[in-house]
Amino acid sequence: MSKIVVDSLTKEFGETVALEDLSFEIDDGEFAIVLGVSGSGKSTLLRCMAGLTPPTEGEVRIDGEPVTGPRKEVAMIFQQHNIIGDITAYANALTGSITRHGLLKSVLQLQNPPEKYRALEALETVGLLDAAQQKARRLSGGQQQRVGVARALVQEPEVLLADEPVSSLDPGSSQQVMRYLRTAAQDRDLTAMVSLHQVNLARKFGQRFVGLRDGKKVFDGYRDQLTIDVVDEIYGDIDTEGMFVVETDDGTETSSEQGATH
Amino acid sequence: MEFFIESLQDFFPVTEVVTIGDVTVYGLAVGEYWAFITRPDQPLLFDPSVAELLWTDPVTFFFGELGIFSVFGQAGITLAMGVAGTVIGFPLALFFGVLGSERVTPFPFNFLFRGTMSAIRAIPAIIWMLILIPLAGLGAAAATLAIAIDTIGNLGRLFVDELEEIEDGPIEAMEMAGANYPQKITFGMLSQVKSSYIAWTLYITEINVRIAVTLGAFGAGGLGNVVEVQVGLFQFTNVMATLMCIFVLIISVELFSQRLRSRLRSDEEKMGFAELILGFPDRFAESMLK
Repeated sequence: MSKIVVDSLTKEFGETVALEDLSFEIDDGEFAIVLGVSGSGKSTLLRCMAGLTPPTEGEVRIDGEPVTGPRKEVAMIFQQHNIIGDITAYANALTGSITRHGLLKSVLQLQNPPEKYRALEALETVGLLDAAQQKARRLSGGQQQRVGVARALVQEPEVLLADEPVSSLDPGSSQQVMRYLRTAAQDRDLTAMVSLHQVNLARKFGQRFVGLRDGKKVFDGYRDQLTIDVVDEIYGDIDTEGMFVVETDDGTETSSEQGATH
Repeated sequence: MEFFIESLQDFFPVTEVVTIGDVTVYGLAVGEYWAFITRPDQPLLFDPSVAELLWTDPVTFFFGELGIFSVFGQAGITLAMGVAGTVIGFPLALFFGVLGSERVTPFPFNFLFRGTMSAIRAIPAIIWMLILIPLAGLGAAAATLAIAIDTIGNLGRLFVDELEEIEDGPIEAMEMAGANYPQKITFGMLSQVKSSYIAWTLYITEINVRIAVTLGAFGAGGLGNVVEVQVGLFQFTNVMATLMCIFVLIISVELFSQRLRSRLRSDEEKMGFAELILGFPDRFAESMLK
């Protein structure tokens, strides 16, 4: 059954067309990855799916219902993590449960114990239990991003959207965050949609792929269909020799592919 | 010119310091200042009779009429007006400041709050005091309320401006998490401006103490009143002594608020109160050697 349906979605910003007549469906429990260069419309797509940006035409349906605004069963992880710097990692994770509590309870952290355990559990899932009491702004970039993941998990969503969650991280942290994301999605039976611009990471962690170029869908398929030609079409003129190494290696990383994808 | 220099001697009294043979060395008569500052019936900076209460009657010391402020004599009255005015004005400034922002209240309606603040700012604190005299009588109460109202206008405006500068990211994140409107404002917006709000509030406290000096000269009491009375008596030496006390008061408030601010801001290990005072010579020497 399709969990997410994107139905002839078009988004224009004035004269600029960010998304053009985009349609695809994501099945329940799939870990999907949106590939594309910067400016290809990945962020716009995810923001439309999250309900943060209204589409010009067409619509996104989650569980058969059109998305008109943020929904509590849809969680989002942002490129700039957007966590609250002035409070602890734990308090940030707790804000994921904000929809289940009133203002006073959430400000004074009077959530019931199961809710607090859920926040700690989410921090454990992303490997940050030790840093739970640290101010979020004092954490490293990768740690902050993982706090963002924890917050999204505490929300107990059915759909997890992630807009380039690893674009500002080093290769090591990138893999770590991606691994936590996939584990969490598997364990909690989430449908996930992650936008990425690193082909190597996408191949390593993704099941399902959607390729965007200039706001148009140029690929929609599974891992075995993601060939060098497809990558070429998504990314245009890049160093294909580097990519070729990736293809023969089939998923394992080399430094040459890092160079090729950046 | 000669007359001017002669007049200056009223402010800076001169006295013989030492006489060695035929040479007499003159110097500033600090003793005259000191005598006025510490005169028993109206001490300017420190009231020993109140300080005694700390041992004999601590309840009165902490919860007497002016509370702990009365230990600072006349400066305490000025300080109390400034601080109490800020404390009363702050919640209202927060209310008006937040609701005056376009992010919180949609466009035409936020001007209801911005307009109120502009109206408050259009009237100086001194006029507010005169307006309030029929309500609270001429004295510290009217001055405190005037300062509180002035705080709404000025601090509220700073709060509005600060909210314009924040980033959309955390707000969107809270929306996605399903926050309701008050939660969105608290977690998404106010969390971003918390430290600058504290900084501005402390700055306004400093300004309010200065305003309290001015209002004092118009009859509210405190150091301002002492200046006014002594000018009326042509006791310019005493005026100068009082001005020095005002300087000490202002600079102390400033240093205190700066300390407090850096304490609130820093995430590092906080300095204890004893270390703060006893360790001062060391830290001073250390930064001089750099």
